[in-house]
Amino acid sequence: MFFSVFMAAMTGSAFAHGVGYSLSELPALSLEFTYSDGAPMAYAEAKVYSPTDEKIAFQSGRTDEKGRFAFTPDSDGDWKVVVADDEGHKVQVPVPYTLSGGEDSALSPTVPLSSRPAGKFVGSVAGVSVLFNIAAATLLYRRKRA
Amino acid sequence: MHVSDGVLSPQILAAGWAVTVAGSAIGLKKLNPDRVVPVAVFSSTFFLASLVHITIGPSSTHLTLAALTGLALGWSAFPALLVALFLQSIFFQFGGLAALGPNCMNVAVPAVLIGLCFRRAKGEYSPLRYSVRAFIAGALGVLLTSLMVSVELGLSDYGLVKTAKILFLTHLPVAVIEGIITAVVVDFLRRVAPDLLMGVEKV
Repeated sequence: MFFSVFMAAMTGSAFAHGVGYSLSELPALSLEFTYSDGAPMAYAEAKVYSPTDEKIAFQSGRTDEKGRFAFTPDSDGDWKVVVADDEGHKVQVPVPYTLSGGEDSALSPTVPLSSRPAGKFVGSVAGVSVLFNIAAATLLYRRKRA
Repeated sequence: MHVSDGVLSPQILAAGWAVTVAGSAIGLKKLNPDRVVPVAVFSSTFFLASLVHITIGPSSTHLTLAALTGLALGWSAFPALLVALFLQSIFFQFGGLAALGPNCMNVAVPAVLIGLCFRRAKGEYSPLRYSVRAFIAGALGVLLTSLMVSVELGLSDYGLVKTAKILFLTHLPVAVIEGIITAVVVDFLRRVAPDLLMGVEKV
């Protein structure tokens, strides 16, 4: 009797009710999500997909108040982080990850880990200019035909 | 309220594109090419209005001024908004390109409806009533758009009630703000540049 209880306790968490913790040796990866106006995507739903399973999320949670979300990849390959809020904004970040190459190569520098829109001023001027050019071209075309 | 790519279901995407293409075709057909400058003016206004951000709680939203576009351009609001949204997507990464169809539908349908309902009685009202009508039009535009986005997200498995509640609540203050802006702008244009409100259709 004593022996079987002892064995149960030894076989790990499935039987044990006690929980413990230790500092993970694996480096965590933290991403920051923002709206195009720079505001953080606070408390947005975040899902991480491992290289081996594209259907079931490896981790699911929410970004923090500042739009940050961290996860701990435990294998090499193409990871994917998808963050979406309740209003139809969604962003998908591919994260090619190499664990074995040491700390520096944990994140390859070519990863598109930042995609922020171009300057607003330039965009505004360019956009309005396109619109009025369309109008001008239409009027010019009309004149020529007349 | 620019919906990103990969959010809406394929059916909604298809429906959005169908409505947008049809609406834009009608808008272009009705458009008098000599009146293309007002179209560019309101298209630009809409294009830039999205940069005016209003932060309410955790939600980030912005002006649309779609109702103003509808009041001024009628059916031609469709192509005007389509081009402006395309440019927003290119220059500001607002909304996905695949979702451009539904995104355009979401602002252009309310714009055209408001144009049809509120444009008729030009000059028949006192300035005050004219402004009140413009206020209602502006506010209604925002609410109709948020309703359409809610329904689409709901039909795309996004939890309709929750989304609708959030979108509606956060856009209530925006509706009031847009109502005021629409009223002020319409009143200003009526006095200063009535030409811009004359419509752009072929006669």
